[in-house]
Amino acid sequence: MITWFDENGLLLGLALLDGLAYAALVFMVSVGLNLVFGVLRVLNVAHGSFYAIGAYAAASLGGMAGLPVWASLPVLLLAAVLVGLVLGPVIERILLRRIYAEEPVIQLLVTFALFMILEDAQKLVWGVQPVSNDVAVRWLGTVDVPFAGDVIPFTKYQLFLLPGVALATLVGLAWFLRRTLTGRVIVAVTVDREAATAMGIDAKKVFLLTFTAGAVLAALGGALASPTTSLVPGIGAQTIVLSFAVIATAGLGQIEGAALTALLIGLGRSVAVYFAPELEVVVPYIIMVAVLLVRPQGLFGAAEARRV
Amino acid sequence: MLDLEGVSVAIAGAPVLRGVTLHVPAGGRVALIGRNGAGKTTSLRTLMGLLAPSAGRVLIGGEDAARLPAHHRARLGIGYAPEDRRLFGGFSVRENMVLPAEVLGLTGAEIRRRLDLVFGLLPELVTLAPRRAGGLSGGQGKMVALGRALMVGVRAVMLDEPFQGLAPALALRYAEALKRLRDALPELAILITESNPELLRPLVEATFVIERGEIA
Repeated sequence: MITWFDENGLLLGLALLDGLAYAALVFMVSVGLNLVFGVLRVLNVAHGSFYAIGAYAAASLGGMAGLPVWASLPVLLLAAVLVGLVLGPVIERILLRRIYAEEPVIQLLVTFALFMILEDAQKLVWGVQPVSNDVAVRWLGTVDVPFAGDVIPFTKYQLFLLPGVALATLVGLAWFLRRTLTGRVIVAVTVDREAATAMGIDAKKVFLLTFTAGAVLAALGGALASPTTSLVPGIGAQTIVLSFAVIATAGLGQIEGAALTALLIGLGRSVAVYFAPELEVVVPYIIMVAVLLVRPQGLFGAAEARRV
Repeated sequence: MLDLEGVSVAIAGAPVLRGVTLHVPAGGRVALIGRNGAGKTTSLRTLMGLLAPSAGRVLIGGEDAARLPAHHRARLGIGYAPEDRRLFGGFSVRENMVLPAEVLGLTGAEIRRRLDLVFGLLPELVTLAPRRAGGLSGGQGKMVALGRALMVGVRAVMLDEPFQGLAPALALRYAEALKRLRDALPELAILITESNPELLRPLVEATFVIERGEIA
């Protein structure tokens, strides 16, 4: 007798491996968005643009002639840091600083406008034809993953590097926010901006720092994604919408929560891609709606602090 | 030390303070008495630089504070305990207290010295120190907020309705702590707000009464 698993086991294995790699990328972007929203209280639609520009910059930088093959990995990091360090401070200083006191709807419109400007800027620089550079993936090669009595050849880049970087980011960020003064200052501003100011904290400096860090994380997500896919206009939009779903599902201010939720949504989407492709786009939102119906503050959102 | 001179403040277009003049001398203990909504909290937030006056002057240590960023108050030795405590719930009590001192860049030795001083004045905090601030009761939280304000407030502290909602026994302990404060740190200016004028009478030298945004 042939069971469902005999027929679809390998497909399921592939979906899980793909989902893990995809979740790692989604985490990198959504954790930055979460951090930025927590501190600045601005939902930055243009966060997805950092992802897209990070990806394109990494592909361009990695495609330069004469680059040794081992450099294909550090180049990804370099591209992300460059993009984040240039765009982050400029945008925070010139644009966001003017809208902190505005209504959320104005902030949303402004960052959406910024997103569209950056989207067109990408088309001006990189055109609308697909751009790809998979040197890093090919250089690292593949590994045979045993699964259900069979093997699945899978790229080491997606199996080890992407989840590894995401895990390092998770652990590093959690350590930074809890154990360093700058981290605690960021948390303090997230919890209560006014009280933090009264404690001597310069909130403006924290905004700049956090926004830049968020931009670097998003750009790193894009740079890491670039060797695994073809870059086309629209990847920024796809990413930001998915990241919104992750932070809405996880609840605000939870780094570990964002990681688990990214995993949940990444795997959910990936399983849908293999078994019900027509549902691929809606699966993350089905998960989000199901969670929010039961827990409106999100899976890991903090309950109200005790008042008396 | 802390002065409002003819200060008017509007929040979301509605006038809350109208020409308020208030003076807290160096080392002075002053009460600001008024009903809910009279403008007590707004007065303190304006002194802290958290609200910008539409008219009048704010003076900190005799200097015009118009160009002084809000976060520089701590550097000038001004501590603030807001009415609703505003502790950082995820941090321990000790971390809450140490944070403003670390932000100021004080040395470890100086931070320990100040902690010992505050623990001496508010012995309740010694046992609370390792606990998570988010799990404290309202009364305990008020005590921690006072301790945190004292970590940077070496010249002045502003305490917003510290007795509000305290159980009688805790209110008594808080009042005793304020008396110890007066004896141990005679150079420290204190501005306390309260709705009940009787409560603070033994603790302060001067009283301002605020009604509907104006000093009566």
